Amino acid sequence: MSWFDGLLWPIMVVVAWIMVQFHKVLAWLGMDPAGGVAWTLSIVGLVIVIRIILIPLFFKQIRASRGMQLLAPEMQAIQKKYKGKQDPASREAMSRETMALYKKHGTNPFSSCLPILLQSPIFFALFRVLYSMPLIAAGTYERSPNIGPITPAVAQEFESATIFGAPLSGYFLQPGADINIKIVTVILIVAMSATTFFTQRQLTMKNMPPSALQGPMAQQQKMMLYALPVIFAISGVNFPIGVLIYWTTTNVWSMGQQFYTIRRMPAPGSAAEKAFKERKARKAAAKGIVIEEEKPVIEEKPRGQRPQPKRKDRAKPRPVDGTSTGAEASSTAEPSETSVEKPRPAAGQRPKSSGASGASGARKPSSGAKPGAARPKPSPKKKPTK
Amino acid sequence: MTRQRLVTMLRFVAALPGRALLLLLRGYQLFISPMTGPSCRYYPSCSQYAVIAVQRHGAVRGALLAGWRLLRCNPWSAGGIDDVPPARSHKHSLTHVASPTS
Repeated sequence: MSWFDGLLWPIMVVVAWIMVQFHKVLAWLGMDPAGGVAWTLSIVGLVIVIRIILIPLFFKQIRASRGMQLLAPEMQAIQKKYKGKQDPASREAMSRETMALYKKHGTNPFSSCLPILLQSPIFFALFRVLYSMPLIAAGTYERSPNIGPITPAVAQEFESATIFGAPLSGYFLQPGADINIKIVTVILIVAMSATTFFTQRQLTMKNMPPSALQGPMAQQQKMMLYALPVIFAISGVNFPIGVLIYWTTTNVWSMGQQFYTIRRMPAPGSAAEKAFKERKARKAAAKGIVIEEEKPVIEEKPRGQRPQPKRKDRAKPRPVDGTSTGAEASSTAEPSETSVEKPRPAAGQRPKSSGASGASGARKPSSGAKPGAARPKPSPKKKPTK
Repeated sequence: MTRQRLVTMLRFVAALPGRALLLLLRGYQLFISPMTGPSCRYYPSCSQYAVIAVQRHGAVRGALLAGWRLLRCNPWSAGGIDDVPPARSHKHSLTHVASPTS
């Protein structure tokens, strides 16, 4: 693993430095520097520092999700179109169209992948720092005698510090792990599962419109939610307790952030939005103001009768002098013949064609479905009426 | 005959790094991704994009494409539909080429 440590080395030093600084502050505040609580809180401090650095990304994301209100009607149209369709092809088509819709409105409810990716080296670095702690304490760490400010003396202090009888660098599957390590690990795995479960459940149950909760994708999400404790248990038994503390704290922070988002900016049509409006109304009633219901502004293209195209010479003003009447008469004769031609029975044909295009997938909602909105097409080819 | 066997073996060896990458990606999708919840701004998601890219373009080009995609999937991007570019002509790629659909 030495090449891995080489890659992570700068981050490991930074992680060690932040932890030691927090530990110094906590000791200065009067905590026992050799106790497990001070070291646990220094890991919590590490989480706080990292998440504060990431806050601008969080606000950027919130701002991006504000536009969700505008696309609610179109979203419902998509959900209606794929209602009850379970096959993978239409599921894929549905997510494709939903993503295209987000892009069209310049909004996106997802947080993007890069922030998660940026956090993972920190996580691995902490993992390696905690893993190397016994080696540094014993003076057998091969890379260097210390990691940044973590000298053998600091490492020995860290090693002797325990939280509920378990050293922070101990892990469940460690050879000769005592019962304390096992109990603390299990408690932390349960806490991790619970926080993740609660965060995701809150997101899906409260902050999504009921229409989004149906369908196979939501079902799959739900299954994943129940599989989480198993996944956490498999990975958690290999992780040092310090890493589990870091992870649980991160989860708690995410939960708080999400709680804030849902309370202040609920998704349209969700249960959270209903509660948000009720709260607003109650506050207003206490002040004696009646709030008018805010309606989302829906940009809609004008539908209905299209202005009929005019032929060029008809669009011109009619010449007044009598010399050109002959030409005028001959040119008007043709359109009067074509206007006798009945407009195509569009009302009968349209629904059929719209149904077919609906199956193919690329139809805009509510464009040709209304028979009343159908209009006679100016036929490009003129049939000889004789 | 032996020449053909050599070509088959070379193909197998050339496809190995791609297979290793695919295994890692599947592992991520199965075990790590569920912990973070749905988060990608694109369709297909970054990990799925990486899977398709490695299948279609091989380990090196696929990994480069996936890395570039990950950089684009940041809070300042609009997201949307972003498919893996189609494979180049058959002559260039030794590795398995997926069908250009989907």
